[in-house]
Amino acid sequence: MTINCIKKFLLLSGALLVSIALSAQASFTVDVPRVVGLDENFRLVFTAGGEPSSFNPPQLKDFDVLAGPTTSTMTSTQIINGKRTDSYQVSYTYILQPRNIGTFSISSASAVIGGKTYHTNPVSVEVVKGEANNSGNSSGTSSQKSNGTISSDDIFMKMSVSKGRVVKGESLLATLKLYTKVPIGGFENVKFPTFNGFWSQEIDTPSNIEFTRETVNGKIYNAAVLRRYMLIPQQTGNLVIDPSEMTCLVQVRASSGGSRSMFDDFFDSYQTIKKRVTASSINVNVSPLPSGAPPTFSGGVGDFQLSAQLTKDTINANEAVSLKVSISGSGNLNLVETPKITFPSDFEVYDTKISDNTSKSGKGTSGTKEFEYPLIPRGAGVFELGPVVFSYYDIGAKKYKTLTSEKLTLRVGQAAEGSANSSASLPMGVNKQSVKSIGNDVRYIRSGISGLVRGNHFFFGSVTFFALIVLIIASFFLMDKFFSKRIERNMDIAGVKNRRANKVARAKLRNAESLMKQNLYSAFFEELHRAILGYCSDKLNLSLADLSREKIASSLEEKSVSKEHTEELLALIEVCEYARYAPDQDKPEMGQNYQRAIKLISDLEV
Amino acid sequence: MKRILLIITTALIYLTAQAQSPKEIWTEANNSYTQARYQEALDGFLKIEKSGYVSSALLYNIGNSYFKMKEIGKSILYYERALKLDPSDKDVINNLQLAREFSLDKIEEIPDFILKTWVKDINYSLSSDAWAYLSIISMALLALLLLMFRYGPTPKARKGSFFGAMASILLILFSVYFSWSQKHGYYKKDTAIVMKPVSTVKSSPDNSGNTLFILHEGTKVSLIEEIGQWKRVELTDGRQGWIYSLDIEII
Repeated sequence: MTINCIKKFLLLSGALLVSIALSAQASFTVDVPRVVGLDENFRLVFTAGGEPSSFNPPQLKDFDVLAGPTTSTMTSTQIINGKRTDSYQVSYTYILQPRNIGTFSISSASAVIGGKTYHTNPVSVEVVKGEANNSGNSSGTSSQKSNGTISSDDIFMKMSVSKGRVVKGESLLATLKLYTKVPIGGFENVKFPTFNGFWSQEIDTPSNIEFTRETVNGKIYNAAVLRRYMLIPQQTGNLVIDPSEMTCLVQVRASSGGSRSMFDDFFDSYQTIKKRVTASSINVNVSPLPSGAPPTFSGGVGDFQLSAQLTKDTINANEAVSLKVSISGSGNLNLVETPKITFPSDFEVYDTKISDNTSKSGKGTSGTKEFEYPLIPRGAGVFELGPVVFSYYDIGAKKYKTLTSEKLTLRVGQAAEGSANSSASLPMGVNKQSVKSIGNDVRYIRSGISGLVRGNHFFFGSVTFFALIVLIIASFFLMDKFFSKRIERNMDIAGVKNRRANKVARAKLRNAESLMKQNLYSAFFEELHRAILGYCSDKLNLSLADLSREKIASSLEEKSVSKEHTEELLALIEVCEYARYAPDQDKPEMGQNYQRAIKLISDLEV
Repeated sequence: MKRILLIITTALIYLTAQAQSPKEIWTEANNSYTQARYQEALDGFLKIEKSGYVSSALLYNIGNSYFKMKEIGKSILYYERALKLDPSDKDVINNLQLAREFSLDKIEEIPDFILKTWVKDINYSLSSDAWAYLSIISMALLALLLLMFRYGPTPKARKGSFFGAMASILLILFSVYFSWSQKHGYYKKDTAIVMKPVSTVKSSPDNSGNTLFILHEGTKVSLIEEIGQWKRVELTDGRQGWIYSLDIEII
């Protein structure tokens, strides 16, 4: 009965909501319980938002029509902030009774509203053989526990997952449902499960709990979704979803003994019983992703597409441009990491902006995730960006897939004049940059001469080394000996020669010397002249008869006697000749000429 | 007759195919390295090394190949060997420094006396062979200067050559010493590189000894003495202990 109240209220509020939302738009919907008992009457309601000009009812061959269609209309007027909204609703209600057990479909009905034909979706009704304790339509004389005890059959909670076996990263759906046969006044101490080992997100948290009828083990329950979670396992192995529990405040009618007055119905006294319900824990088997993941794999599991584009193809240096990489598809999209892209080192790269445009559903997140890489190229040139590579594990194909975008070409022109970076007063010059070390590697191998040696490879201490030392020492002593010998000999030869030459000269001039001592003037010069000529004939191998001054001069030249000596010799001969015939007064000095002759002969002899 | 010729030629071809000269292997291995087939390059270089040939360039290339194969310990070992052969090689020094950055152990070195480091720097600025050649050249120079001193034409030349001779005597002494010390250092097997990723150093030469510290691949140790399968090692910071012989490889 209370359920009925709730239902009616819900229906009304739902209709109101619909009418508010669709006040301008006509609609045509069907409402029927999904599960009914065999002996149960139920309501089939077609609701038209707007005034239908005609209504074409469906064929209801599997059910007995107990009543209907009864038409009811509802008008509502709403004024919100002076804005008036009117809604008009017509509903056609059938009361049906099933004939057999099974699932039957009710074909679509159609209505023409405002000149347009609307169809309802075909709906199916499951008919079970169960006690219809909470019949949707009527009177509330059903069997209700009134003694204050409620079995766990009457109310329980159940956690279910969409998949019991998943791979790591594959999303699954966990639904927490409450099944009840008794009216519930409220909840207390609600403890929702923690999902250890999962990335979890509530995707469906209804603000007011809507009950639908479902059968469990052949019994009809009012079931409501309490929470729905999207789970993405982050660990492998057997993951346990903790039990969840709460205390339900169940309203039971207080039994006032056997006497029931007719007022009892109006003054029902209800008793609230607290009932703890728990949903048992549930296991999810998570298997690890297979090995052989490509290096660009970053945890994406599902089915994705990749696209990459630049906001501009051609820009100037020092201007901003963005590379947009979008990954779309379904899977654990919200866990997809930013793809790593290596940009030319001349680019300044700022933090990646990530924008999500996703919706969560039973298949995981689907939609598009966009990564925006803001860039500022600092130098001109044509740059190749990418390709952007993204790898993921395809659940359907059960293997890794790698998506590669096309290469993007960015043309960067020279920095625009007067851009923010260049100051107006100093238009010349560029920003000097130090050469940055980007990587580190060993220097390259020796490729040229190998210098391969076998055995003792040190020059020091080798035979050659010592041989060279011995050679140097030996050549030193040899050279030393040679030099000392030569100097000795040189000194000797000079002395001997000098002495000998002097001796020869003195011997030649011995007569002249004695004549000089006797002071015989002309005899001295005669003797001197004879001695010099004799010396010349001896020296030059010429006969005395041939001796002329010219002959002497030419012969001396042949013998490579220096010119001074030749001239001295000729001068001496001339002095001698002159002295022999010269008058007495200017006679040349004897001693002086004698010394000249000795020196000359000595010099010539050396 | 024809058959004999055939046999001889096939034998010759076979022989030449078998006995690839080290020069050919060298070129081939270099090509492999250039094409980033480091394993093949390494095999080639090691084959040359096995056949008894050695050179600083070969050890350097082996070190590079090991580095590319991410075997840091081995690469450090070979760089050290190359440096022992020629301590003046700048490429080896550079690569060794880089490889050392990948080894785990960080050991504080006790700094040497400044004069010692200077002498060391001068010593390692040339290779042993270069010092040996220098000593030969300065010996020849000394001989010339002595001759000049004795038989110089002018007193000035004689005086100058005297001082020149003194200088060249110093040069000879130093270069001979440096050349000798490098060669001596090469044959002195007193340092080693830890080859195991993790190797424990014990307080006594058996497994029951206390673990003093743990060394990682690529750390250089000097050897002090040996008992059975154990070696007493010293770190550059002065700590000592016993390490299992197979954990290290002598440079």
